[in-house]
Amino acid sequence: MGYLVEAVGDSVNLIFSLDREIYGIVGRSLVFALTATFLAALLGVPIGFLVGTRRFRGRSGLLTVMNTLMALPTVVIGLLAYGFFSRQAPLGFLDLLFSPSAVIIGEFILSLPIIANLTVSAVQAVDPRVILTAKTLGAGRVMMAWTILMEARFSLLAAIIAGFGRAISEVGSAMMLGGNIRFYTRTMTTAIALETSKGEFGFGLALGFFLLLVVFSVNIFLHLLQVRGRPH
Amino acid sequence: MSEMRNMVQLELRDVTHSFNGKVVLDIPHLSIEGGKIYGVVGPNGSGKTTLLSIMNLLIRPSTGQLFFEGSPVRYEEGNRLEFQRSMAMTLQTPYLFNTTVEANIAYGLRARGTPKRERAAAIEAALQQVGLRDFATRRARELSGGEMQLVSIARALVIDPKILFLDEPTANVDLRHIRQLEEVITAINGDRGTTIVLTTHNLSQAYRIAHHVFPFFEGRLVPSTMHNLFGGAIKASPDGPYFDTGRVRIWIPQDFSSSSSNHISVNPEDIIVSKEPFTSSARNRYEGIVTEVIERGGRVDLAINAGETFRVHITGYSLRRLGLTVGSRIYVTFKATSVHLL
Repeated sequence: MGYLVEAVGDSVNLIFSLDREIYGIVGRSLVFALTATFLAALLGVPIGFLVGTRRFRGRSGLLTVMNTLMALPTVVIGLLAYGFFSRQAPLGFLDLLFSPSAVIIGEFILSLPIIANLTVSAVQAVDPRVILTAKTLGAGRVMMAWTILMEARFSLLAAIIAGFGRAISEVGSAMMLGGNIRFYTRTMTTAIALETSKGEFGFGLALGFFLLLVVFSVNIFLHLLQVRGRPH
Repeated sequence: MSEMRNMVQLELRDVTHSFNGKVVLDIPHLSIEGGKIYGVVGPNGSGKTTLLSIMNLLIRPSTGQLFFEGSPVRYEEGNRLEFQRSMAMTLQTPYLFNTTVEANIAYGLRARGTPKRERAAAIEAALQQVGLRDFATRRARELSGGEMQLVSIARALVIDPKILFLDEPTANVDLRHIRQLEEVITAINGDRGTTIVLTTHNLSQAYRIAHHVFPFFEGRLVPSTMHNLFGGAIKASPDGPYFDTGRVRIWIPQDFSSSSSNHISVNPEDIIVSKEPFTSSARNRYEGIVTEVIERGGRVDLAINAGETFRVHITGYSLRRLGLTVGSRIYVTFKATSVHLL
């Protein structure tokens, strides 16, 4: 028990002493996750929109694949990406392994199916009268697509936030692709794993608090969005 | 739009539409002239919305051709959009985008690339026309059903369409807003000269608003109104064919005898009422009791129970001359040729 109390005390000390390393890790984690989520949204929302609004051969199979990808273990992503980025691998010349870019790519791959799948659900839930109304008012294809996305905006934001949640909290691929290099690719999750194994429980706990804070903030924001988006 | 007044704006030729192999709409010919209000009247499920959707190019008919201002309508994306942007339509249950009233009304203008500075004046004029001047900044989803319908009309109106299609504009609206909507529709036509085609299941409303009323039944324009619509079967007798409703026997012209139709209608204007039976060439004569008297301006609508309930239109003068009230015993008379097969 004393050990736990001591660890909590250490973590509080680290947080309030504005420990440079702790805040550096938090900032880096946010930058990696936000960049990965932004890129995943850039690709995932259009993919989700097209799959959600079009009917084409193989759509059902594609949806199954997309759903399966949502549950992919992060270490598998790390492993596969490692296979591509290591020196002798096809993309080894890019020299990405153990770089921030590799961590972002891993988080991007993890977020993409979540954002794409939830976008499919979001656009499918849009009232069918949206398309009809847009047509009656003379909207072209682009404006109609934009209108559907705008009407689904609260659900889309929720999709993007869920993607961010996946990116910020994953550990497997960040560890394998980033290498957990101090002041370079170390993120909250990889640092927690490392510091705890080193016996620096207080340090790990302090980072754990921050991670929880980010996840809670994201969820509260999500809840507020859903309340606002609810039809009257 | 005044230059199009009385000229044919939209024409349907041999238009049919099928759904799952069943013909749900069959319009041999229909012309919509500029500057007029048309009322398409029919019961729910008669195909009114399908007709409006075809006229607004939302649905491509299975067969037939539409002409807009004399040009054949083409359905390729670019062509369709060009024709469609000359028209606007409101839905029976309007969908307002989840934003402000102002942004909703601006939608059609944005679709047409109208510069922002020109939009404001058009939006204000449209809101004023529908009597919602102070509603611009309100959230669209917070409005009542009637207000939503008015906003959807303003949203369609703001683009200054040549033809405005209104699908059951008062169907989901409270009584107070029904009157307001009717006035707004009439004013839009009067002030702007906009051609309006509206659907309704309310015959009285159609007559109140429209210059032309098209009765519509099972996907077809029918020659008579939906009042005095009877179901039954055509039967033969030594005195000629008749229509048996199960309650009354209605004599029909000889050439209807081979028809398999099981619906007929009689135009309320074609029925004569009298206090005493009289000798005439009209074969259909029934004794009944007046069950309803409704005065609408100079016109009176009577409901007479004579086995079946007959709706009859007479003048206020005739009402007073005959001294009719609810409960009066009366005769209804009409010719076999006044019966229309549906």
